[in-house]
Amino acid sequence: MLHTPLEQFQIILLFSIKLFCFDFSITNLALVNLLVLAIFAAMVFFFSSNVNYLKETSFFFIPNTWQVFVEALYETSAQLLFDNINAEGEKYFPFISVIFTFVLFSNLIGLVPYSFTTTSHLIVTFTLSLSIFIGLNIICIQKHKFHMLSLFLPANTSFGLALLLVPIELLSYIFKPISLGVRLFANLMAGHTLLKVIVGFSWSMLLLEDFLAVFHIVPLLILVVLMGLELGVALIQAYVFTILTCIYLNDVINLH
Amino acid sequence: MLLQAAKFIGAGLATIGLAGAGVGIGTVFGALVIGISRNPSLKDELFKTAILGFALTEAIALFSLMMAFLILFAL
Repeated sequence: MLHTPLEQFQIILLFSIKLFCFDFSITNLALVNLLVLAIFAAMVFFFSSNVNYLKETSFFFIPNTWQVFVEALYETSAQLLFDNINAEGEKYFPFISVIFTFVLFSNLIGLVPYSFTTTSHLIVTFTLSLSIFIGLNIICIQKHKFHMLSLFLPANTSFGLALLLVPIELLSYIFKPISLGVRLFANLMAGHTLLKVIVGFSWSMLLLEDFLAVFHIVPLLILVVLMGLELGVALIQAYVFTILTCIYLNDVINLH
Repeated sequence: MLLQAAKFIGAGLATIGLAGAGVGIGTVFGALVIGISRNPSLKDELFKTAILGFALTEAIALFSLMMAFLILFAL
C-alpha cells in the first residue's frame, strides 16, 4: 500500500559499515550510484571488440548497434562542448563527458520501476553543481588571476551603472550552482511524484468495489503517456545540465 | 482539521505559479515557430536553443509544483 507519493524517495539502509566515526553504509542511493558506474563501464567493456595486452579496449571499425549508442553519447557531449567553447575547451572534454553520462544514466535508471532515482535528491545534484562551481573558480583564478574580477563587470559600463550592476552580477554568479542543482532535482522529483500521484488515483479507484472500479484503467493509460514525458525530461535535463556547465565554463575561460 | 484545510488551500495557491510558466513555454515555442518560418534553414540550430529555453522555463514551473507537493505530502 502506498502511503504518500514521496515514499519512493526514502533512503533505505541496506548494509551497515561503520569505520571509526564515519558512516560508509551501503544505502539504496549508494547502490544505484555504483550501478550507474558499473553499467557504463561494463557497456564500454563488453561492446568492444577485444581487450589487448595493456587492458585497453578497442571498438569495431564498423560499429554494431550497441557501439552506435556509445558513440552517440560521445558525439553528443563533444557537440555540446565545441558548440559552446572554442578549441581551447578541448581539454575539458572528459569532464563534460563524465557529467553528461553520469546525469543521463542516473536519470534513466530512475525510470525503471522499483528502482531509485539518485538525481531526485538535492544532496546529489547540489554536490555535483557545487563541485562544478568550485572547479570553475579554480580554473578562472589559474587562468586570469586578478582579471577574474571582470566577470562581475559587463564591458563598457560607466562608473554609476557599475555600482548597480556589480552586486547584481555577483548575486547571479553565486546563484549559479544553486539554480543548476535545484533545477535537476526539482524536475526529477516533481516528475516522479506526479507518476506516483497518478498511480494513487488508479489505486483508490480499484478499491471502490463497484462497477466504477473498471475505470482505474484510465489513470493507468495516462501514466503510460506521462512515462514517455518523464523519459523526455530525463534526457532533456541531462542535456541542459551539461549545456549550462559548458556555458559557465565558457564564461570562465573567455571573460566577457 | 483547520491545518488540513490550510494545507489544501496552500497547495492550490502554489499551483497559480504554473500560469506564468504556461505563458513562458508558449512564448518560447511561438518564437521558435516564427523563427523557423522566417528562415527554415536554421531549424536545427533554433530547436536546440528552444529546448534549452523550454527546460529553463519548465524548471521554474516545477519549482511551484514541487512547492505544492511539499505542502501536501511532506509537511
